[in-house]
Amino acid sequence: MNQKKVCMVGLFGTGKTSLVQQFVHSIFSVKYHSTVGVKIDRKAVDVDSTPVTLVLWDLAGRDASQDIPASYLRGSHAIFFVVDGTRRETFDQLAELRELARAAAGEVPSLVALNKADLADQWVLGQAEEAALAAQGLQLLKTSAKTGAGVEEAFRWLARETVREGGKRA
Amino acid sequence: MADDRASRPEYLGLTAEYDPASAEFAELRELLLGEERRKLAELQQRVEAQSRNAEEVAELLPEAVALRSGRDRQLARALAPTMESAISESVRRNPREIATAIFPVLGPAIRKALAEAMAGLVDSINRAVEHAFSIRGLAWRIEAWRTGTPYAQIVLKHALVYRVEQVFLIHAETGLLLVHAAPPDLKVTDADLISGMLTAIQDFVGDSFQQQEAGKLRTFSVGELTIIVEAGPQALLAAVVRGQPPETLLLKLQERLETVHLQFAAAFADFSGDPAAFAPARPLLEECLETVLSHQRPRAARSRLAALRWAIPVLLLAGILGWLAWRSNRRWSAAVARLETEPGIEIVEAWRSLGKWHFRGLKDPLAAEPAAILAGLGADTAGLDARWEPYLSLEPSLVIARARQALSTPATVTLRLSRDSLYAEGEASLLWVSRAAGLGMLPPGVSHLNLTGIAPRLPPELETLKAQIENRMVLFEIGSATLDPTERTALDSVAASLLRLRAATSRLGYRADLELQGRTDPTGTDAINQSLSRSRVDAVIPVLIRLGVPSEGLRGVPLGTGNPLPGRAGQDQAQVNRSVAFVVRVTPEPVAPEGSR
Repeated sequence: MNQKKVCMVGLFGTGKTSLVQQFVHSIFSVKYHSTVGVKIDRKAVDVDSTPVTLVLWDLAGRDASQDIPASYLRGSHAIFFVVDGTRRETFDQLAELRELARAAAGEVPSLVALNKADLADQWVLGQAEEAALAAQGLQLLKTSAKTGAGVEEAFRWLARETVREGGKRA
Repeated sequence: MADDRASRPEYLGLTAEYDPASAEFAELRELLLGEERRKLAELQQRVEAQSRNAEEVAELLPEAVALRSGRDRQLARALAPTMESAISESVRRNPREIATAIFPVLGPAIRKALAEAMAGLVDSINRAVEHAFSIRGLAWRIEAWRTGTPYAQIVLKHALVYRVEQVFLIHAETGLLLVHAAPPDLKVTDADLISGMLTAIQDFVGDSFQQQEAGKLRTFSVGELTIIVEAGPQALLAAVVRGQPPETLLLKLQERLETVHLQFAAAFADFSGDPAAFAPARPLLEECLETVLSHQRPRAARSRLAALRWAIPVLLLAGILGWLAWRSNRRWSAAVARLETEPGIEIVEAWRSLGKWHFRGLKDPLAAEPAAILAGLGADTAGLDARWEPYLSLEPSLVIARARQALSTPATVTLRLSRDSLYAEGEASLLWVSRAAGLGMLPPGVSHLNLTGIAPRLPPELETLKAQIENRMVLFEIGSATLDPTERTALDSVAASLLRLRAATSRLGYRADLELQGRTDPTGTDAINQSLSRSRVDAVIPVLIRLGVPSEGLRGVPLGTGNPLPGRAGQDQAQVNRSVAFVVRVTPEPVAPEGSR
């Protein structure tokens, strides 16, 4: 079965782990984030009736004390960025994270999940920000860990893109 | 100015053609610039030739290199510095490329070096534990001897019990699982996740300690499990081992990983997440799955055991053969000793060959049969090769046997040898006694024959005669020594019988003498009775002499009342003892037999 490595990247507290938790198969606990800095899950997706396994590297959120290890990003077939729609700084640092990912994994399909979409009243991102991301060729999706909205779609998009790309990374 | 012109050589050439100036000017020009012009033309020619030559050299280069390399090492020497700097430049710029290229070459070399180092280590352990003495140590030592394994390895073997439970082939860059091998009884569902995590942990450790590729985490332990990760440029080979993995497992993993790199180079280059191309590598991984228990013995030990299985019947056979040889040897010694002590047998030479006994020697014809003696000892006389020369033995038993044979000795006579005298004792016929006595030549070993111990037995008719004489008795009246006429007539038959007897015995070399025993009844004094008994004997003797009996054959024995006779039917004892009784004594004739006279 075709396998693809997908790294999930975002700042600390963007809700990455919670977002995918109920959609993926996991055998490792979140403790790994604070120790090894990554926890690996699996997500099975069908692309045009062909099964694809996404091996999801859920990287520990970046914060002031912990950077994202470039070695984890190496060889990724796609990057799953997560931004907290209620925290502006998670959006602001996206460019920096993208640069990190590009340096380690090259130009690969990338998706940005604007998470916590259920918290509409605290939402800080406007049309302008979304348009800016889209202009950079990034796939945008509004997601919610609470409702599960957008998550399956995100995985489907990632799977399709990685298969279409044929794993050829620049 | 010269430099300027030199950069434009065509100018010089053109002016030379377009200016047909005076001879002076041409001469001046030639004087000033001629030399330089020639040099410039030459240079131009060279430049043109060079570009033309590059093409030709490109064509010729491979052949030329081959040609020169075949001739001597000059080319290699010339190129060496260039090659060296080229390689170091390449390594400086992109070490990964070179590492990938030489990985399959370096692996075996490093392994070999490690193996040698390990051998040295085992040696030193060997020395260290050599003197450790305990029951267990002794048992291991015996095992080492039995299996032909160095002692140190036996010690290690008992310490090592392990099971390789899973083997992962992991794509180095992505951490994706390429192949996973596990025993059928072990259900592993999340090998892909473990694979990713193993890669992550590798990266994590590498990053944490700022190590380069070479310094990545190689083994780590979790409780009873040890995870060995062998890293190659394209892939990792990770083994999950329960217990203590041996050094050989590490070597095995390295070897497999190198093989994978060699065989799947194309698959690695094209890898985009589909592990199908690596499926053929599964057997390579499965070979690494092994369970080694403490009671399992290495192959060599099993072959030793197989040899032992052969050794048992061989030893048994050897034992039987040995026992047979020992028994045969014992029988042989016993047989030789027995024959040597046997009278009348002298062994000169005795030896054994395959299944045969050989004897050479002397044997008295009367000695026991050697074959019978050997058969009695349980020997197989079919394989007996004996040659006995006859001889006469002077062993007493054989001298006696020979004498017995020569004398036709009856069973009632025993012979006894004392020095060279043979004593015959017992009862024998008068005929035999006379024949023995008259034997001209005594058997070898006998100088004298003594027959005095023999009681001669008369032939039946003579015995009758003797009885007739001895049944007669001359009776006397009380106190009288006078023969009464009836009694006197009775003496006729006594004399006749005695004469016949004497004639017969004298032919056999014996003489028959008549003893006349005079007796009295118990009345009266002994002196009177003694005298009376003499008178009675004296009364009878003259009568017998008158009847023709030679006087030397008569002997009077006056007994008085001594040695009285018992009473007879119709006669009381006193009457019986007032008598002269007759006893015939047959003795060997001391002189020539009577018949020859």
